[in-house]
Amino acid sequence: MGVPLYSIRDLVHVYRGQPVLRFDRIEIPTGSIVGVIGPNGSGKSTFLKLAGFVEKPTAGEIVYNGRPAAPFAPEVRHKVSLMPQEPFLMKRTVLNNVAYGLKIRKDLDRLETRIQTALSWVGLDAKEFVKRPSYALSGGEAQRVALAARLILKPEVLLLDEPTASIDALSAQLIKDAALKARSEWGTTLIIASHDWQWLYGVCDRVVHLVRGRLMGTGRENIIFGPWEPGANGLWGKVLSDGQRILVQKPPEVLSAAVIDHAAIVPAERPLPKANNHVSLTGLITRLALEKASGDIIGSVLVANLPFTATLTESEVHEHGLYPGRRVHLLYDITSVRWF
Amino acid sequence: MDFLVQGFLRAIELLFAGDAETFSAISATLVVAAYSLAATLAMGLPLGFCLGYFEFRFKKQVRVVVDTALSLPTVFIGLVVYAFFTNRGPLGEWGLLFTLPGIAVGLTILALPIVVALSATAVESMDRLLRVALISLGANRRQVFLSTLWEARLSILAAALTAFGRVMTEVGIAMMVGGNIKWQTRTITTAIALETNKGEFAMGIALGLVLLLIAFTVNVSVSTLRKRY
Repeated sequence: MGVPLYSIRDLVHVYRGQPVLRFDRIEIPTGSIVGVIGPNGSGKSTFLKLAGFVEKPTAGEIVYNGRPAAPFAPEVRHKVSLMPQEPFLMKRTVLNNVAYGLKIRKDLDRLETRIQTALSWVGLDAKEFVKRPSYALSGGEAQRVALAARLILKPEVLLLDEPTASIDALSAQLIKDAALKARSEWGTTLIIASHDWQWLYGVCDRVVHLVRGRLMGTGRENIIFGPWEPGANGLWGKVLSDGQRILVQKPPEVLSAAVIDHAAIVPAERPLPKANNHVSLTGLITRLALEKASGDIIGSVLVANLPFTATLTESEVHEHGLYPGRRVHLLYDITSVRWF
Repeated sequence: MDFLVQGFLRAIELLFAGDAETFSAISATLVVAAYSLAATLAMGLPLGFCLGYFEFRFKKQVRVVVDTALSLPTVFIGLVVYAFFTNRGPLGEWGLLFTLPGIAVGLTILALPIVVALSATAVESMDRLLRVALISLGANRRQVFLSTLWEARLSILAAALTAFGRVMTEVGIAMMVGGNIKWQTRTITTAIALETNKGEFAMGIALGLVLLLIAFTVNVSVSTLRKRY
């Protein structure tokens, strides 16, 4: 195995005195697609800014292509490009926004053709858009222009922070297609933070889950945040909006987050018999997604107002008729709950 | 009111006849304004950028000092500059007292806080995502600086315009440091003050009209530039 494109070690980032990111180790191979999921405020955007060499970590090292790198370093400045969640366009025309990166590189060869190509990748007609000022674009168009401004640079790494949030379905699809095309045509490594886990599981070689600034495995873990209340038989619990109760063993702290692995959750069509240390919850299947890397089917089940993730096999789905819209029963073992 | 009307008509006559004394004051004013604005922008824009862009210790205190300097009395600046440039002063050997460059130094001290404070505010009010976008597109530090200034160009133009207005209309520094020497350091404002004291309203009004005309021209030019960019 060759040198990974990214090798991140002992990374700590502190913002206004509060640690917002803490990684022991993560490696990202060249040409891979890595998805980053996690709740709001979990550190996804911070991670992308650090990996995009826009900010310097408070401590730790980001090794790029075998060499430690930092913002403005020549070995990354023209190779890694981040598209932030809000598409910031400069107060210029679309042409000048898209051409900016090439102009500062003094790479003006066939500029017009390259601008046309970059815009066409994101579904924008150059003739119609190049002279348009940035303030005259819709949210989806602005996001696509921002992506075109990065695609024209043919980056080695493209980091996309919530690229499809708050935009129309067509723009979202065009952005997804353009990003994947960059990977297939130039071998661009993609690092994508998104709440659209269905898409991420479908296209990513690997999905990582960020919770409170820490890496939490594959993203299929169910994380239930406190506060927890003491209950009967020495168990603690959390009452959901529909009256169901999530039971756990005594947490380390009242506000600790409980982690239930997707593999520890067993789905069933009918209510499950009570057993020692096992808790049954009832929910509604909202989504099914196929994970590209493993071939597993990932089911999202809404229990009251809490989304759960369970891994399903093809036969389970067919035998029990586990399709979106169906009620399903989930069983988990209290002793399998980990704390975070 | 007659003397005002008479003064106005005489002023028009002086301007159209190309009166040497009047145009000497106009020329001196434009020279000191050009010197001081060039120096102010060369120093003020980078300082304003740093103050607005970077987070550093004692930033708030620096900001308070700059904001306080906005209201420095011109006669006080004139006094300090005079004290430095007089023969007995630490910079007396430079020979800048009663010269146009001497006045320009005083005017630069006057205008510098305006450009620093207003450009810092302009840079501060820029979207924080601009920096992220520029670095993401491959900009180096110098390109981030220049592109940020360009993005804030309208606000910075307003800062320069405010400084220009202050410099053009200043009288205390020009009088104290320049000495109001005819044909040498007499500016529009010092000439107006002198002529008014002498009861010569015509020249005062003529010079006042020139000031208004310059202000109008500059504002129209800036307004045109704003529309264009």
